[in-house]
Amino acid sequence: MSSSLLHPPSYLPPAVALRHSQQAPSILGKTTGAISTSLFHSLLSAPETPELWITYENLLLSCLRTGDDESAHQCLGRLVNRFGDDNERIMALKGLIREAGASDAATLDAILKEYEEILRDNPTNIPILKRRVALLRSTGRISESVSTLISLLDITPTDAEAWAELADLYFSHGLYSQAIYALEEVLVLQPNAWNIHARLGEILFVAAKSSDHLGQFSEALKRFSRSIELCDDYLRGYYGLKLASLPGHHQGAPSSRTGSDGFAVPDLATLSKLDEMATEKLAEIVRRSSAGEKGWQGYDEAEIKAARELLESVSGGAVVR
Amino acid sequence: MTWISKFTTALGLLLLADACYSAYEHSVLQTHRAASLSSLTTSHSGATTTLPIDITIETIIATFIVCLGMVLSTSKLRPIQWRVWAGKIEREGEAGFLSSSGEVEKDYVGNPFQLLESRPGFVDIRKQRKEFAVWAKGQ
Repeated sequence: MSSSLLHPPSYLPPAVALRHSQQAPSILGKTTGAISTSLFHSLLSAPETPELWITYENLLLSCLRTGDDESAHQCLGRLVNRFGDDNERIMALKGLIREAGASDAATLDAILKEYEEILRDNPTNIPILKRRVALLRSTGRISESVSTLISLLDITPTDAEAWAELADLYFSHGLYSQAIYALEEVLVLQPNAWNIHARLGEILFVAAKSSDHLGQFSEALKRFSRSIELCDDYLRGYYGLKLASLPGHHQGAPSSRTGSDGFAVPDLATLSKLDEMATEKLAEIVRRSSAGEKGWQGYDEAEIKAARELLESVSGGAVVR
Repeated sequence: MTWISKFTTALGLLLLADACYSAYEHSVLQTHRAASLSSLTTSHSGATTTLPIDITIETIIATFIVCLGMVLSTSKLRPIQWRVWAGKIEREGEAGFLSSSGEVEKDYVGNPFQLLESRPGFVDIRKQRKEFAVWAKGQ
């Protein structure tokens, strides 16, 4: 997890977002925001870097999150000065600011109508389509947001972010098989994404638990294993591997039966070996990370805590420091 | 570039400049001597002294010192295998990608697939604002 302003802030913990938005006045004050187009001035002043604009955009998002609307408007002003009003991303950011400032349903409806108007002029305005999906989802109109998202995916079938959003939408409403399909599409586009393999494993696990479909436990095991293959010492992968390899989940499956992809349901010896390896690895990660060892501090605190609780619950009270 | 590599490179360049200037001085001396000799005798002396060996040694040593300085200033090598690199990101975070001056390297982006889970194009800003307000109250 990084704390730099060059990375999108939606994954940042609230404290870091607050710190970024508090830096806003100093960052805005440092550069004047005046972009000169004459050759002479551009020779004298520092060259504009792409990082500057990314910084403005991420600062805008952090400020909106923490409620600092004044700085957010200033950031937007500078972006509009540079890129103009017709840029698709700028239009989406403007819509975002208005959404953030909206206080009642009538304003949100007005914003939605504006999005639709923009889309009537340009039906392939991807950032505005995404904002429309997000706003529909936020106001609770799920079926409309799903249909908008599907039409977006008809326009650009290679947008992995949109497929991931579709998977999340389906999953949050219990439609597991559709969510699994959407995440598999994400993996077609980004086959090396270890965190998406782990996410798919998690969804398969939840689906298998709710429907008692035994083959899905093996699928989940396969996905978690792949995520560990792609990333050494992946805490989330080992956690899922440990949960999915509990023998209780694979009982009742005849050993000759194969899963949906021809993946044989593993036998008990393999399962116990996997379980052992996962336990050992989790213990090592928890131990080294809590001991403050250099080179093991990149893990998320909450994940380490969850791993420790899992180990303690399984080992029956033997404390892992 | 750390200070020791800068210092070494500068020292090497200084030595190189000194060697080059000495060689230039030598060649000027040669032509001057040849010119003054030819005004006295009709035949050339024939034997021009070769470049003194210490200038040659100084040039070679200066080149080595410059190369050493440049090598000292390279950044740490990064892992090639995907899983080792991914593991480094997960395990060490940004602390594993510091440049020689102690700052996080500019092209470090963390987990590049994180955006598939945070999805910044679909951010629900009102929900984030509410959650932040709740967290701020709790502080």
